[in-house]
Amino acid sequence: MINAVSALTGRAEAPDSAAPPSVGPDPLAIAMTVNGAARSLQVEPRMTLAEALRGPLGLTGTKIACNRGACSACTVWLDGVPICSCTVLAVEIGTRRVTTIEGLARGDALHPVQAAFIAHDALQCGFCTPGMVMSCAALVERQPDLTADDVRAAISGHYCRCGTYPHVVAATLAAARTRKE
Amino acid sequence: MNRFTWATARTIAEAAAAASTIVADAMTALPETAGPGDGTIVKAGGIDILDLLKENLLVPARVASLRDIPDLDAIVEEADSGCRLGAMATLAGLAAHPLLRQRYPAVTDAAGESASPQIRNLATLGGNLLQRPRCWYFRAAEYRCLRKGGGNCFAIPGENQYHAIFGNRPCAIVHPSTVATALVALGATVDLIDAEGAVRRLSLEDFFLPPERDLQRENDLRPHEILTAINLPPLPTSARMVHLRQGEKDAFDWPLADVAVLLDLSPEGICRSASIVLGAAAPVPHRAKPAENALLGKHIDESTAGAAARAALAGATPLAKNAYKTPLFEALIRRALLKAAAPIVKERG
Amino acid sequence: MASDDKPHAERFPFGIVGAGLGVVTRQLPPDEPPPLAPNADLAVIGRPVPRQNGRAKVTGATRFTVDISLPGMLHGRILRSPLAHAEIHGIDVTAAARHPGTRAVLVVARPDELTGATLRYVGAPVAAVAAVSMVAAAEALRLIRVDYQSLPFVADMDEARNATAPPVFDAASAPAGYASGFPARLNLPLDGNVRGPATDGRGDTAEGFAEADLVVEGEYRTQVQTHCCLEPHAIVADWRADGLTVYMSTQFTAGVRHELAEAFGLPLDRVRVIVDGMGGGFGSKSTLGSYGRIAVALSRQAQAPVRLVLDRQEEQMDSGNRPATWQRLRIGAKRDGSLTAISLVSYGTAGVALGAGVGNVAQALYACPNFAAAQYDVFTNASPGCAMRAPGNAPGAFGLEQAIDELAERLQLDPLTLRDHIDPSPVRREERRIGAERIGWRRRHAPGADPGPIKRGMGVAQSLWGANVQTNSACEVRVMRDGSVEVLSSVQDIGTGIGTVLAQTVAEVLGLHSEAITVRIGDTEFPAGPPSYGSRTTASITPPARAAAWRVLRPLFREAALALNAAAEDMAVRDGRILVRGDSGRSIDFRDAAARLRTDRISAVASRSDDYGGFRWRMADAAQARQDLGGVQFAAVAVDTETGVIRVERVVAVQDCGRPMNPLLIESQVQGGVLMGLSYALFEERILDRHTGRMVNPNLEQYKLAGACDTPAIDVVVLENYQANSATDAYGIAEPANIATAPAIANAVYNAIGLRLRALPMTPAAVLAALGKFPARS
Repeated sequence: MINAVSALTGRAEAPDSAAPPSVGPDPLAIAMTVNGAARSLQVEPRMTLAEALRGPLGLTGTKIACNRGACSACTVWLDGVPICSCTVLAVEIGTRRVTTIEGLARGDALHPVQAAFIAHDALQCGFCTPGMVMSCAALVERQPDLTADDVRAAISGHYCRCGTYPHVVAATLAAARTRKE
Repeated sequence: MNRFTWATARTIAEAAAAASTIVADAMTALPETAGPGDGTIVKAGGIDILDLLKENLLVPARVASLRDIPDLDAIVEEADSGCRLGAMATLAGLAAHPLLRQRYPAVTDAAGESASPQIRNLATLGGNLLQRPRCWYFRAAEYRCLRKGGGNCFAIPGENQYHAIFGNRPCAIVHPSTVATALVALGATVDLIDAEGAVRRLSLEDFFLPPERDLQRENDLRPHEILTAINLPPLPTSARMVHLRQGEKDAFDWPLADVAVLLDLSPEGICRSASIVLGAAAPVPHRAKPAENALLGKHIDESTAGAAARAALAGATPLAKNAYKTPLFEALIRRALLKAAAPIVKERG
Repeated sequence: MASDDKPHAERFPFGIVGAGLGVVTRQLPPDEPPPLAPNADLAVIGRPVPRQNGRAKVTGATRFTVDISLPGMLHGRILRSPLAHAEIHGIDVTAAARHPGTRAVLVVARPDELTGATLRYVGAPVAAVAAVSMVAAAEALRLIRVDYQSLPFVADMDEARNATAPPVFDAASAPAGYASGFPARLNLPLDGNVRGPATDGRGDTAEGFAEADLVVEGEYRTQVQTHCCLEPHAIVADWRADGLTVYMSTQFTAGVRHELAEAFGLPLDRVRVIVDGMGGGFGSKSTLGSYGRIAVALSRQAQAPVRLVLDRQEEQMDSGNRPATWQRLRIGAKRDGSLTAISLVSYGTAGVALGAGVGNVAQALYACPNFAAAQYDVFTNASPGCAMRAPGNAPGAFGLEQAIDELAERLQLDPLTLRDHIDPSPVRREERRIGAERIGWRRRHAPGADPGPIKRGMGVAQSLWGANVQTNSACEVRVMRDGSVEVLSSVQDIGTGIGTVLAQTVAEVLGLHSEAITVRIGDTEFPAGPPSYGSRTTASITPPARAAAWRVLRPLFREAALALNAAAEDMAVRDGRILVRGDSGRSIDFRDAAARLRTDRISAVASRSDDYGGFRWRMADAAQARQDLGGVQFAAVAVDTETGVIRVERVVAVQDCGRPMNPLLIESQVQGGVLMGLSYALFEERILDRHTGRMVNPNLEQYKLAGACDTPAIDVVVLENYQANSATDAYGIAEPANIATAPAIANAVYNAIGLRLRALPMTPAAVLAALGKFPARS
């Protein structure tokens, strides 16, 4: 895999045999595929993916609540797999596809999990909701036959202080049924 | 988080050449002088490294990523029917691996119960084994504790409810890796490769360093070495293994206690060998030798399992707030032994 | 339709649906809408309408305060005390001011030449910076030099009560005003670190205990719980020559506007407070707060907008918390269960703040002629506590409801039988009946009866909370000529879905679908709405919404009557049409009636009238209904006696909130209350290091919250309990749903293992200690 960093900036030193070339610490241009679109942005190596999404990319749907992977509010998909965007650096995303809450619906058509969240009131204040939706949508995409325990396991890393877990489970099970039909 | 430069290693040799600084060494610098030095640290999944960077506990000049080194995440069955686990394999990858699940269920259970799904999707086996302890004094920049090169342990006279009950002087951390508990019980070995490609292989049990051997490092990783793989030995078909963990919460909680047992039973159910390792008990995965010895030649039942569990805890030296771990470990050890020794019910195809 | 310009008698539904719904006649104040039928006869109110802002929330489109970015916006950050008790002798901000990114520097703890500035807890604000980026702000903060002199401190409440403990305050510096917790009293004596007692009493407890056949006595402890709002406390302050605009994650836009006007000497009309998405409020976002004041002062100094967002460590260390309490309860009773005396002594600590009492459950939940309470606040060198979901009563019920269960056992009575005897509330009687049936109370066995290491048990506990009302609550309803309708108020949606409830209220009056109503709230440009604390939002703002809608409907009725050649008083609404009552063939589309209006827009503003039955009390803008809010919860638990792990398997929550406006949203609220109570019962605790006074678990990893895997099956039942008190007769639910959970779990644990856990949280360590599984250490 060609590193997106060096490919774009050309700032990288010529690779010597001993150690790999470096970029930064000043901001550098990187490319990233976000919600299906190629985006370029300036980041310092120390910028997390969550910060890059919310800052330079203007995708504030992704929330930062604990900033250490403990609450999963910042969940996005990396190549379709849910991860905490606060636990990964923007410079290391490379060619992997990033999907955020803004990229889940197809135009006006909500993802079945989004629609089910509304119908089952699986949200209150809504701050944990984007991350919660991303985890549940990934589960429904990957596993059509679901039990309540599967949903609980999938959201076991999420905190919701409003206490929406029961409705989140009900909504996700309903969305999985819709998807199968 | 401090500013650092970023490098992407494409070969193990490149990574080893870059890896001038062990994280533990970088963290013992005096706070007044802490600032980007000239060291390079390596990063795998980076879950723990990012935590340390965000808290300014770690201020490296350069971070080198292992992510683009080819095949470092491979899980391979060896000719002797052992298994080689690439250090960059994710916890999620380990937990879901069919062959591992069949042959080494204690490892897949331990990996699958670690952290959260999101973290398991990024966290690597190597990073998990090398992560720094979760002791809340160690994790706060305000406390310059023994492990950070200071003069005191703050946990021993302080808040130690989640700390060690074995080997807890002069530092009372517990080893943070749950997977390590299972791997040590299995007798796994670790491969460390330097920039010239020389491989140092040692048992994982010896790789971990208790405070009396090293107060500031939890393991024997050296500068310019890359942890590339964990090797699981082949096991006899009669081997039984179980990993149990107990947190305060049912998910996404550090264990209060975790136990891995590996038994080899004769067809008559007599214990020919036993390996019992406790996690969240000591600064390193803690082998419960008295319990292992107590089982040899015995049929495993409530009574012998209970006796072994009591033997395991006989040497415990709990602190002011963690004496509850003694009965908790006893219960988990007994349950793990009984579960491992229980007749295997064949699943219908 | 009766004339409505003067008071007149009207017949209202009254009582509990399914358990004696009747009718009561009340004087209806002038200009109030007519009585509202029970929910079964309504089209929109009482229906499970999904929340209107759901789509924005599930697509990430909702703008929370942390998402707001203004042109030229700076980033604020606060320097905080590393010491639990210290005096600042000097503070040098020159280098910070010279940092190229710095635009404003503020000294918060300003050393006076004589005495220095005293810092009384780890995390107390010292200084603040606004800079061009978060990174620059953090760098500038590190350049501030502070000369601290460390002072002796005390972080532990028991130690702070000792006469020899270092004083946190002296008489001159101690806070003396009202506190957000209970009881709130002025001018109590301060002795060392102990302030109080705040006393309550009736009858003569000495006589009462003398009459008792039996006395139970117990001591109970509760821990400090932190709010853990997922959205941190956040503000964007935009100070301009023509006025101040503040975007804030707040539970009370109108209240924050008042505080800002007063703090910065601005007229109310020059201050605007806005909140759209509000990421969780459980009490700590009720006021402007020191961080809010700091952000505005930085914006004024920098002449630029400033965003200040607390990080998670600041959230945990200094954004408010539920105080820790200790209480001793003595209860005397006759053989038949009649209570003869209750005495309560409590000590609680809100750190450097007041309000650490245990509320009024012991005073008011049960009939008892003789009662005496003495409640003390203990100052410690810890961050200030504040209101948190059912302040006072949540820790209070943990003690009282266990004591009542203990009494029942001593009397050899079923806990429900005893409560039937001593609880005067007909509402809770019905709630107990329903809950007992749902949980299968008849299957409950004797304590510790299960064989094997896993022991199961069932427990019950009751809730008591005042039905609060904010009389300073107003709402506007507008109808445009095209028939579009808006409802406007500064009231904020902190996650309860109040906007949707307002839309339902207005839609019901106008005969429209609730989606047809545009909701514009969370902005002080609109009529002042109530705070979202004290479970008072729905009770305060839905009656004026209905009144305003009803008033704005009258001109439409006049136009419709003209069009239909009928009398205005014969008009009614249904399914988007205005029709002649009793002659549905004669009707006009709502939009066609609107099109006949003389102007493009008509509008009516209404404010919250007094409860028709009168208030229990009223103080400034706040008042309380005569009836209380109840609630009874049942818990089923499994206790592993070898590992000490308690798992809650099921909770049945039977609650009341007057008229339930939207059962779907209420169910969410109740589940949230139960989960916060469960988390309080089993997991959460702010842990301070006793040698430094610093919180050792200031994050969401080591401060433990209940997650999805810890969530039991939760059955929610909500009564319809009509009290004929307002245009909607609706009251709150969030806090009552949080009070009974922890004691219900504790009583269930007792039923499982025959041992009473009198301290929170009930961790495996606490269970194993109670079971005597390891030697006690001093």
